[in-house]
Parts: sequence; C-alpha cells; structure tokens
Amino acid sequence: MIKQFVLIGLLAILFAVFFVSMQDIQELYNTFGKDYIAASGFADTGSRNLVTAILLDYRLFDSLFEAGILLIAVSGVIWISKHEIEEKNAQFMLDKFNTPDLFVTFSRLVYPLMLAFGFYVIINGHVSPGGGFQGGAIVATAILILYYIDADKETNIGLIVTIEKILYIAILLVASLSIVTRGEFFTNFFALDASADTKAIYLVLLNVMIGMKVALGLWTIFTAFLKEGR
Amino acid sequence: MGNLDMLSLTAYALQVLLIIMAVSIVVHKNNGTIIILITTFSLITASLYVINKAPDVAIAEVAIGSAIIPLIYVISISRQREFIVLDKAMDDFIIADNAFTGVGYVLLKRFTDFYHLELNICNDVRLCSLGAGRDQLLCEQTNVDLIVSKDDERNVYVLKGKASSILTYKLEAMARDYDNIEVVKFKDRDFGD
Amino acid sequence: MNPLLTFVVILIGFYGLSTSTNIIKSVFCVTIIESGVILLFLNLGNLDGGVIPVIGDTLPVGGIADPLPQALMITTIVIGSTVTALALMLCIKVFHHYGTVEWAEILSRESGK
Repeated sequence: MIKQFVLIGLLAILFAVFFVSMQDIQELYNTFGKDYIAASGFADTGSRNLVTAILLDYRLFDSLFEAGILLIAVSGVIWISKHEIEEKNAQFMLDKFNTPDLFVTFSRLVYPLMLAFGFYVIINGHVSPGGGFQGGAIVATAILILYYIDADKETNIGLIVTIEKILYIAILLVASLSIVTRGEFFTNFFALDASADTKAIYLVLLNVMIGMKVALGLWTIFTAFLKEGR
Repeated sequence: MGNLDMLSLTAYALQVLLIIMAVSIVVHKNNGTIIILITTFSLITASLYVINKAPDVAIAEVAIGSAIIPLIYVISISRQREFIVLDKAMDDFIIADNAFTGVGYVLLKRFTDFYHLELNICNDVRLCSLGAGRDQLLCEQTNVDLIVSKDDERNVYVLKGKASSILTYKLEAMARDYDNIEVVKFKDRDFGD
Repeated sequence: MNPLLTFVVILIGFYGLSTSTNIIKSVFCVTIIESGVILLFLNLGNLDGGVIPVIGDTLPVGGIADPLPQALMITTIVIGSTVTALALMLCIKVFHHYGTVEWAEILSRESGK
C-alpha cells in the first residue's frame, strides 16, 4: 500500500513539472516551420495534403526507415512464431467451427467495397487526407475479412514476405532516383520547377508502393497470429 | 464562434471519457473485457484526433485499432489459456471406447479445469515418429507443454514436461495418487538455445 | 487545457504499467501510453487553432494546424501496432516456457533456479 502512495506521489510530481512547463509553452513553441510549409509546401512538392508533403518529400528519410522498422518487426513476429510442426487439435476437429451464413454473405458484400475504399485512400493521398500508411491498413483489414469467410484459408507467408522485401528495396530505389536527376538524396525526382501534376506522378507511385508494403506487412502479422490461434 | 465553442466542449467531454476508459482498463481484472474497452478507447482517441485537426492520423487509428489490434489481443489471450499435450502412446490412455474417457484424459481434464486452462491434445504423425531422445528438443522448440509416452517394461505412462514451467510441478503434485503415471521434468537449459 | 488532460492519460498508463501483475496487462498499458503520446503531440501542434493541413490555391485565413507532428504520428501508429504484435507473440512464448504470465511467478521461478 505504501508503495502505491509513493508511486502516486511521483506521478503527481511529474504532472506538476508538466504543468509548469506548459505555462512557458509560448516561449518554446514557434510557428516558423508551420508557416513555411503552409506557404511553400504545395509549390515545393505538388501535394495539397501537407502531411503527405512532409511524409513523402521533406522528411522522406524518416518515413523510409520507419517502413524499415515495420519490416524488421514483421520478420521478428515470423521468426518467433516459426513452427516446424502442424498442430492438430483432436477436440477442435470433433466440433468444427462454423461461421454463420449471414455473416459470410455480408462479408462477401463488404469485402470489395473495403478494398476499393483502401485503394481510393492510397491513390488520393496527395489531394485529400489519406496516403500509403492509412490506405495500407484499410486494405489489410479488408483482407482480414477473407479469413472470416474461410477460416482455413491457406496463405504462403514466405512469398508475402519476399514480395514485401522486394517492394522495400524498390521504394528505396525510387526514393534515391533524385540523386541522379536533382543531386539530392531522398526527394522528388522531378525538377523543382515542374508542374504540380507532374510531381503528383511521383507522389502517387510512392504512396501505392508504401501502401502495398504496409498492407503486406500487416497481412503477414495477422496470418502468423491466426496460425497460432488454430 | 458558437460552433467553435461547441467543438471545444466536445473535445473536453471526450478527453474526460478517455481518462475514464484508461482508468477502467487499468483497474479491470478480466483481460477479455479489457479488449472491448481498448477498442472503445481507440475509437475515442480517433475522434479526438479529428477534433485536433488530424484526419490522416484518425484514419490510420480507426483502420488499425478497430480490427487488427483486437484480433491479435484475442488470439494471444486465448492462447494463454491453453495446455498442449502431445500423445505419443496412442492407446486407451486418452481415448477409450471411442470417447475421451481414458484415465489420462480424466486426470488432464481435472488438472486443466482446476487451473482454468483449455486442454489441447494433438497427435501429429511426424512428431510422434521422433525418438524419445529428442523429446527435450521438441518441448523447447515448439509450444508443446507435455509429452505422453509409455514405458512398456514397467507398464508406466511417462508424462514429460519442462522443468521451467510452473504447470509441470502442479501436475506432478496432482498425479501423485496414480500408481501407473509418472511425471518427468527436463533439466533446464538456457532459454533460446 | 487539453494537453494537461492528455498528460493525465499518459500518467494513468504509467501507473498501470508499474502496478500490473500480468504481462498482457502491461502490454495494454503500453498501448494506453502510446495513444496518450500521440494525442499530446497533436494537441501541441494544434495550440493556435487553424484548419486541417489540406490547402487549396489560397491559404486559409485562420492558418493551419502544424502538419509536422501529424506526419510523425502516422508512422507511429503503424509501427506501434506491429511492435504490440511482437510483444504479444513473445507473451505466448513466455507462457509456454514458464506456464504462467504473472510477473511474480516468473520472477520466483527465475530466482529459484
């Protein structure tokens, strides 16, 4: 009990420190970066969505290697859940799991719509809220519905991970193209004074690739978990 | 201006709701109920992201927090109620008269029910064909908790489990009453060898 | 003020993390802390008000919310879910090795060796 009181006291001190620092927030906080991005973000990158402009142009270095962390985490999940054996549960085979018919029909109806919405979010990432990371998550959720329809669906994890690795290398290559055309690392490979429509080609290309990579990564993760659950 | 006040009021209400949800997640004991609470928590945070002018983040949170996170929590929690037994004996120890009425099954069922676990008996052909010398390796490399085999000379059923697992000790205490059942513990080696 | 209320959520997560007896409970608390941190970043990026950072041909009158924290937080959500998955997968392995997911029992088994 005394431990909990000490803990609550320490957390209260943390809160007090945060409260004091919030009083001076106006001195710490400035709007220069925000104003610069608002004024020249569209001209520099050709993206109306300024979040995508930062993700895919100004700070592409960050996004690329956070996509790399995703790949590493997926590899970790697969390595830990590695099974050389086929687990067969005697009781599980006796009363087989049945999905209700209504649920199956509804899932079949919703699945293409969700897939289409995911691709819509990916492709329009530069003109509206959305982009590769979010759209990829939606596409992965749509694929998850397939497992509700058919619980015993077989998936080749090795193939998916191989495609994901190739996609990651391709993303790095597309991002590095700018060193040939512009002389800078990790930015748009079209010239800085190209029109917004031209620059959008690069944005859509990279969004689609990142979206597919994220979708495949999440697909691998929940397939590994569903295999564990069987 | 009236609209804006309404928006900030909603934001405050949602923040208070978020704190309530966080407290209930922390104080709740049942992990199964917490999954529902965490899904609600994630939906409330998503609406707060929209109020904080970040629709991009909200889309990502809804897509991930509503389906994939609950799924992996459900599966890992259900897996943590499971006791996997590999049946190498393949006689009436588990299945007698085409039903789960063997003496071993009754013991294991009593054991798993007592500790609120779920009994999972498998007899994979490839695994059962492995020699007895590789049982320890099998136990460490896969999720199998217990291996059932039969010692024909002494007519004793041998249950082999990991010495690191607390469940093996509990099973040993429970199986003391049975004459023809013996519990063997593998010696510990470094985890991850 | 909104950032203060958000900080309370993070502190609740810390409290749960230090008092939890169960591994799964700890992972839940990490998820709470993560959501709190994301919300704190967005709150601090939205201090001056403004509209969402999607612009037309002319700049909006009230300015925009800071897009930089938002861009950082999108990747955080995706990475956070995969790291949670990794932690839960490790939990399953720990259960099959020690036979329990309670911190106290695992520690007693480790020290009793």
